[in-house]
Amino acid sequence: MSRDKGSIMTTTISSAAPPTAPPKMPTSADAQLLSFAQSAELSVHDLYNIAINSGLLSADEKLMMQMFSDHHKEYAQSLNGLLGKDATNTRNESLYLTYASQLTSAQAMSRVLQSLENILVATHTDILSSLEGLDGVTLVASIITVEARHAAVFGTLPNANLSSALNNTASSLAPNASPATTTSETTVAP
Amino acid sequence: MNNFENLTRRELLKVSGLTIAGITFLASCGAQSGVTGTANIASAGTVPPTTALGEVVISDTVLLRTAASLEYNAIDTYTKVLDGGLLTGEYASLNDAIKRFRDDHVDHAAAINALVVDIGGKAHECANTRVNNLYVDPALKLITADGNADAARDVVTLAHALENLATQTYQGIVALLTKPQLRGDAMRVGQDEARHAVVLAQVLNPGYLAIGPTTDEATGKAKVASVPSAFGGLASIQISLGAPNSEGAKTSLSLETPSLNGLVYDEISC
Repeated sequence: MSRDKGSIMTTTISSAAPPTAPPKMPTSADAQLLSFAQSAELSVHDLYNIAINSGLLSADEKLMMQMFSDHHKEYAQSLNGLLGKDATNTRNESLYLTYASQLTSAQAMSRVLQSLENILVATHTDILSSLEGLDGVTLVASIITVEARHAAVFGTLPNANLSSALNNTASSLAPNASPATTTSETTVAP
Repeated sequence: MNNFENLTRRELLKVSGLTIAGITFLASCGAQSGVTGTANIASAGTVPPTTALGEVVISDTVLLRTAASLEYNAIDTYTKVLDGGLLTGEYASLNDAIKRFRDDHVDHAAAINALVVDIGGKAHECANTRVNNLYVDPALKLITADGNADAARDVVTLAHALENLATQTYQGIVALLTKPQLRGDAMRVGQDEARHAVVLAQVLNPGYLAIGPTTDEATGKAKVASVPSAFGGLASIQISLGAPNSEGAKTSLSLETPSLNGLVYDEISC
């Protein structure tokens, strides 16, 4: 890597920011998207709790799912903090009901909850593509990387399956999302 | 009363010696005539000239070109690992995963460079020199040095660190990108790097109990975790590599995401 000849170097650092700097706090459009994200987080938190209380998991699996469940609660709480009075603090009932009935065995729980992690990654990534407020952008980005980790853990335990850990063909559930073409996931309207 | 009259020759020499030492010390602390005072700490030798950072614009193309450069750091590192046969013994079975990771990074680089071109920039198709100079090259030198019995494990440690570095880079640039659509595009790649990191973390510290943060009771250091925290962090990444020294300690490296002097500005070319 080298600098092209003739480039003039001075000591000024400037940013190519647009004429109007982006807002820090969520806009009203952001609030709708972040509220949707929060409702999805609360649904997945509750779905994890079904698995945790099912009596079908090993102690190790239960420990892992408790950690992931707690994370989703933290995401909902952080979104609540960002949204303030705009926060609904209610789960997405449609999402919850679609998957609650599928948690019938330990194996099914791992599969379904991994799918949900992948759905959340796709949903939040879609939401990120529309957010204007930088606080929301920063928060959602920091959630996406960890939910991707959750999904990958399900692909490595109890048995390592590289494709399962790395591939994500889930559809976004975000209200502004256009449907993906390569997925078998259930789309749930907000 | 003058007590000096009672001093022996030995005591007199002692007193005069201390006086001379004291004067020398005080003189070295004080300002000297003809010497310009400076707020800097005194130093010996000649200070090399510094090159000031030029007039630079941190635009979307710069941020994405920097991300692309990190993809090439990973591609080059994995190629060296595969071509050099560095994964041996129990780690040899990881070669297929490393090939998959490299292929993913090739795809990531192409996707990010396509975005760069779409927004009017120039694709950057080589590794970040600063990341190579500061982290990758020293790490590979430590790993391949004679006497390193843990070379294969160290390769996995380096790969894990690079995947985390890439994850953090994407997460970090998201709030700096001006176009919302680019943020989503960046995180589509960034979340993939996080998945790579989990696979490698489970190799370094396997099992359910290694998913969350844990501490090595013997050393007090944090163990490798698949999910180190509830939110993606941007802290520096600490790794220890190479043959242990006489005290049993490996060399530590601290990796940080590219900053102002590591960004791939528009005038930089491969």
